[in-house]
Amino acid sequence: MNWDGWLPLLIVLSSLSVGLVIFFLPEERVATRTTLNLTGAVLKLVLVGVIIWGVVHRHHYETRLPLLPGLDLVLRADAESVLFVTLSSGLWLVTTVYAIGYLEGSPHRSRFFGFFSLCVAATVGVALAGNLITFLLFYELLTLATYPLIVHRGTDAAHQAGRAYLTYTIAGGALLLVGTVWLYGIAGSLEFSYRGFVAELADGHRAALIAIFALLIAGLAVKAALVPFHSWLPQAMVAPAPVSALLHAVAVVKAGAFGIVRVVYDVYGIEFAAGLGVTLPLATVAAVTIIYGSMRALFQDDLKRRLAFSTVSQVSYIVLGIALTGPIATIGGLVHLVHQGVMKITLFFCAGNLAETLGIHKVSEMNGVGRRMPWTMAAFTIGAFGMIGAPPLAGFISKWYLGLGALDAGQGWVIFILAGSSLLNAGYFLPILYAAWFKAPPDTWPAERSFGRRETAWALLAPPVVTALLTLALGLLASAPFSPLQWARSITTLEYAP
Amino acid sequence: MGAFYHDPGIRAVNDVLSVILLLSVPGLPLLLAFPALRSRLSWPCHIALLPAVVLLAVPEVVSIEVPWLLLGTGLGIDAASRWLLAMSVVLWAAAATLLHAPTGQPADDCLTTCFLLTLVGSLGAILATDQVGFFAFSTLMGYGFYGLLVAGGDEAPRRAGRVYLGILILADLALFEALLIAAETIEDLGFEAVRHAVARSPSPGLYLSMVLVGYALKAGVWPLHFWLPLAFRSARPAVALLLGGVPIAIGLLGMVRWAPVGEINFPDIGLIIQGLGLAAMLYAVLAGLERAQLKLLPAYAAILATGLFAIALGTGLADPAAWNRYGDLAHVFIVSLGFGLAGLATAIRWLEARYHCPAMLARQADGSNPWFERWPGAVVRWAARMGFDTLPRLRASWLAEVGRLRQVRAWKRMLDGSERFLQRWTFAITLFLLLGMVVVAFVGASSWIG
Repeated sequence: MNWDGWLPLLIVLSSLSVGLVIFFLPEERVATRTTLNLTGAVLKLVLVGVIIWGVVHRHHYETRLPLLPGLDLVLRADAESVLFVTLSSGLWLVTTVYAIGYLEGSPHRSRFFGFFSLCVAATVGVALAGNLITFLLFYELLTLATYPLIVHRGTDAAHQAGRAYLTYTIAGGALLLVGTVWLYGIAGSLEFSYRGFVAELADGHRAALIAIFALLIAGLAVKAALVPFHSWLPQAMVAPAPVSALLHAVAVVKAGAFGIVRVVYDVYGIEFAAGLGVTLPLATVAAVTIIYGSMRALFQDDLKRRLAFSTVSQVSYIVLGIALTGPIATIGGLVHLVHQGVMKITLFFCAGNLAETLGIHKVSEMNGVGRRMPWTMAAFTIGAFGMIGAPPLAGFISKWYLGLGALDAGQGWVIFILAGSSLLNAGYFLPILYAAWFKAPPDTWPAERSFGRRETAWALLAPPVVTALLTLALGLLASAPFSPLQWARSITTLEYAP
Repeated sequence: MGAFYHDPGIRAVNDVLSVILLLSVPGLPLLLAFPALRSRLSWPCHIALLPAVVLLAVPEVVSIEVPWLLLGTGLGIDAASRWLLAMSVVLWAAAATLLHAPTGQPADDCLTTCFLLTLVGSLGAILATDQVGFFAFSTLMGYGFYGLLVAGGDEAPRRAGRVYLGILILADLALFEALLIAAETIEDLGFEAVRHAVARSPSPGLYLSMVLVGYALKAGVWPLHFWLPLAFRSARPAVALLLGGVPIAIGLLGMVRWAPVGEINFPDIGLIIQGLGLAAMLYAVLAGLERAQLKLLPAYAAILATGLFAIALGTGLADPAAWNRYGDLAHVFIVSLGFGLAGLATAIRWLEARYHCPAMLARQADGSNPWFERWPGAVVRWAARMGFDTLPRLRASWLAEVGRLRQVRAWKRMLDGSERFLQRWTFAITLFLLLGMVVVAFVGASSWIG
């Protein structure tokens, strides 16, 4: 195997090996642990950079290792995987910096960072998986690596959230397994390919293919938090803020959404899936989730819970874009995979800053906080407006392509869903901004920590500011070469090419 | 001299300077909106206007295409936008000076940031040469202006801000839909191209309606003027000065640039808009006389003027040739309106300060009732006097229904209950739903194939 053959595996190992080493580090070896964490994150990003360059120049990167008779463990860099792996690697670096600052002085840091690295290794494996069995392996590894992070605080609420998470995701994983095995039994192959590989089976197995689709999507819908499989996500917000960021933006829900992308495009093929009649029900579920998630968010006073329901709603934009069956909507869905991640991680970082610095957990405690923490709240403002879809931020680009795609696909009803969602987003984000910037601050904050003249620690402040600027850049520079939008356009060209 | 201008090197330098100048008009205030970047400057709001002043001094028509920006956008200045830019520079400079009043102390960071963000949006919208750019800048202007309205204010400005914000969100939704329709019709979203293409599309009515409603909301055109009197009543002097030249002017400018007036013949819609314009003028005069405070005079003047504008627009829709002959006057009208309202607002502030007369007329406007109650309320009172008892009862039940709908607790309880149910029976529900999906898929597929 040459260098091109090892590169995908090296990307996975860059965080897997770091995670395994960190497990054995004593708690007090802070500098070593920090160095290892950052080295792993930067190394992964460099390797991903090499892969991006290679994919642009039509290099073929594939690691193939025998797993079972007739089934290989395949890691492959294609246009879709590069989109997701870039997102997760980039945001992992930022989240690592944030987590280092967030957990300073707290117990069990080696355990935390060990599982944290495993979690990202699994996510990268999900992104680079070249067939359904590899995808399934890393998908399950992700479930197991995330559980200890959710229960990290060790409180009753954390254990309860962890139990709910395991119940949902293991049930989802079981369905995914059944669907995968069934599909293998019929097709004899599980290799992802542009425009799918099951179309030729349509003649004798139409009913079975629809059932398998339902199984696979139901299994993935759990992590993607589609209604009614979403309840674990708002409960899991009891986890520390970096874990929330990981769950909502980098890893778990994204793995579910990305899995749906893979199944629809690279297993079934979008045109064949539309022909089977399975995309319209999927779009309906996504639309219901978008509205339901936003309505639930509207009534939450707990900030992280409000953000969690917002994720339930926003991730379904990706599914909606995929299910609308048209090149423009596909661009919208794929680009939102990246945009939602960047915007939502900004919001969770800010929520973490408010909790760690001032002890603020509830929206009703946020009066005047913009004056006390202007940089954090400026970042939050950008993230919130991005979620609403205000131009020129990243969310506007997503909504633009989703709306245009809906019209292009003759699904005008989606416009009302998008408009309703924007209204609801404004309904639950703007009161926060109003309270933070325009209401008078209280005399004392719930649990204020002093950081001298700074509003909070650098390690906590820099990540949300960086991701907020990224939110702005992703919108303003959407048409620049190598932007996620251009990348999504390239993927769409491949998926819809005759 | 001609050879000098045709020299490729000179032309390249000119192009670079054009790019720098046009980008810096919204770019510099955007940078200065960050408190850290302006902390050492004495007059940041005035400094932010310098690129616009320089651009006004350039006598040529300048435009640039910025393909990497947003969805590919452009900025430029022509004869019409030059007048608008000049008006803006004067009004913004005056408002920047007044921002310190009445205390003489520097404005706080939040207010200055909102001021500069509104400036970015306002100048950017004037220079935008395509719909996406205009929409982005005008949205920024709207949210910034909301901040200007409510920053540091008490309950009255907050109420004005809330109403304005609601209007703004609805307007942006309508305009976003219009933008999508335009983009589906034609790839090039330049103003001219869109107007031309939409006019020749099979169903331009929806696009036109969205544009008119969206910008009528933003400009406060009657009967969508709810925010206007509230804003004029409660705005601080610097903000009152800007009301005519910023949200109203940009709203009217949006109508002129987006609506395919002069390209399309819509006599019926034109007649309706003319009628609405006439009604607006009538309303402004009657309502102004009935309940005006001195501070509200500019608001009713604005409603009167935008009513006149609506009549002109309706005439353009009914008679495109007339619009093509006189349509350029629309820009002159917008500039005059901006200056006129600013002058009126300033004169009234001066009168108030000089003679200590917060209200010239005795009757105060009753702002306590919700807007939807007032006009039906008048009709119902009249009906009751005439002996129609059904109407008051209907109104009472309708108001009770509205009250019930406003009680969101019932919804909340229902949603909470469903969430608790989902959480309590997680595993059973998951399995049940998944099994259900498989069965439905099987049955559906079998019947389909069968």
